[in-house]
Amino acid sequence: MNRNRLRPYLAVLTTLTLAVATLTACGGDDAEGGPDKVTVGVIPIVDVAPIYLGQQQGFFASRGIELSLEAGQGGSATVSGVLSGEFQFGFSNVTSLLLAAGEGVPLKVVANGVASTGEQGADFSAVMVKGDSPIQGPADLAGKTVAVNTLRNIGETTVRESIRKAGGDPTAVEFTELGFPQMAASLDAGDIDAAWVVEPFVSTITAAGGRPVAWNYADAAPDLTVALYFTSTRLATENPDLAARFTAAVNESLTYASATPDAVREILGTYTQIGADIRAAMVLPEWPTEINRASIETLLALGKTDGIITTDPDLDALLP
Amino acid sequence: MSVHTTPPVPEPSTTARRRWPIPYGLAGLAAFALLAEAVPRLGIVPERHLPPFSRIMTALAGELHAPGFWPAVRDTVTAWSAGLGLAATAGVLVGVLIGSVPVLRDLTASTIEFLRPIPSVALIPLAVLLYGTRLPSSLLLIVYASFWPVLLQVLAGIRDIDPVAAATARSYRLGPLARLRYLQWPTTLPYAVTGLRLSASIALVLAVTAELVIGAPGLGKRIATAQISGAVPQMYALIVVTGLLGLAVNLAARAAERRVLHWHQSVRAEPAGAR
Repeated sequence: MNRNRLRPYLAVLTTLTLAVATLTACGGDDAEGGPDKVTVGVIPIVDVAPIYLGQQQGFFASRGIELSLEAGQGGSATVSGVLSGEFQFGFSNVTSLLLAAGEGVPLKVVANGVASTGEQGADFSAVMVKGDSPIQGPADLAGKTVAVNTLRNIGETTVRESIRKAGGDPTAVEFTELGFPQMAASLDAGDIDAAWVVEPFVSTITAAGGRPVAWNYADAAPDLTVALYFTSTRLATENPDLAARFTAAVNESLTYASATPDAVREILGTYTQIGADIRAAMVLPEWPTEINRASIETLLALGKTDGIITTDPDLDALLP
Repeated sequence: MSVHTTPPVPEPSTTARRRWPIPYGLAGLAAFALLAEAVPRLGIVPERHLPPFSRIMTALAGELHAPGFWPAVRDTVTAWSAGLGLAATAGVLVGVLIGSVPVLRDLTASTIEFLRPIPSVALIPLAVLLYGTRLPSSLLLIVYASFWPVLLQVLAGIRDIDPVAAATARSYRLGPLARLRYLQWPTTLPYAVTGLRLSASIALVLAVTAELVIGAPGLGKRIATAQISGAVPQMYALIVVTGLLGLAVNLAARAAERRVLHWHQSVRAEPAGAR
């Protein structure tokens, strides 16, 4: 998920960071003897619950990785953090990675991050409207104002796809940028007609009388891969052993999280501030270990159709 | 004995002269709390977007026991104090240097006026590029914003040196060090302390802003996490905490001002004549 407030600076930042990273060329430090110290840039949301669980369960320690998780705003800050070596790995949504890779940013995906449940009516991402809104389905969103957390990113392409699949005009919708936390109030005030949100906001807006009208992740592709763990191409080539151990630890964490939803709901209370009632009720995403390449190709195609992705990234170089 | 004559007071501290400063202050806070309770209760703003004050206080009580709250407070206070310390030191040193050399003053005047209004938050991309999301990122923003008030106050203080006092110092053939001690220091100190007090608040605002926007560790980051978790009462509780920190900073700055300037007329003029 790309909820970052620094987005306007993305291009400048990545360019500058690249320059600095190339100049300083300070690789990930290989600890001599002891465990590898690894910092991962994540976002304090439900999507990354498995890695917190894996840390707690010792899946990283058992592979000689001393893991520290740095929860930030995500987006370009995570990407530049990985490039500069502040983070060894990062968590980012697929469209952001495709955009960065298209711009030639040297990134390498190492593990699956989070996936949609693919179920209409029971996913962790939805387009919400007020209870008394005239909007009944995705097709009605045409001509309306929809809030997304980041313009020209995964929210835009998937919501347009929902409208397209329902037979509406996907070009007629107007997007406006707003942080997820601000959307409920904007919806109430009538500043926006609909809001694309993810959990816990699907639950909180529903509890406040809101209504889902589109399940954009479920609409976009079957079992859509939404986000991925990645590293810099440099770390992947210079320290393939560490990357492989990290991948194995993340995969074990994803499997563990899928098997123990109660543990997920519990660990959410440690790194987020989601209330206990919402934690118990919210829809959890899926955490398969396999990256759904077909769905990533779909996201790429959608991005190109909507004019968000202009240069083709090399998928074989980006994906493992 | 100083050659110093009484300068115009930059911003006289009136707190000391008020009879009942604390009760009045508390009454103001109580009125605010009442308003914050009434506005959501009366439905002027929906409760789920702005919880009543009592719910915020309940959330605050919960926060005090939450793991990660006190470390966040410590991180913010660390960033604030380190940033303010750096800014104050740099402001005084640069101010005395520039202020004492007329050529330097003329050379830098327009540059200072050009740099000063640049909002510190505009430097966020630079800070993130240089230091990522760590403490130095916050420090860059804090120091940049809180350096100017100290510098300008010190410059104003040095410009305010009484010509008669300066002439007297010359007559007595005071050396550079003695002039610093008996002429520049007493005249500039009240100004510098005012600058420091202004900077103290600015530094806190920037510390929280940096954490909120960049994600540097501290209260601001915790506010961002509460936001993204949809935990509205907790978010306001943390905002109240930043307000309380600001209050503490201001009280401490005023106390420090009274202590440092105990000899100065702005402080000495109180009825009790505490010295």
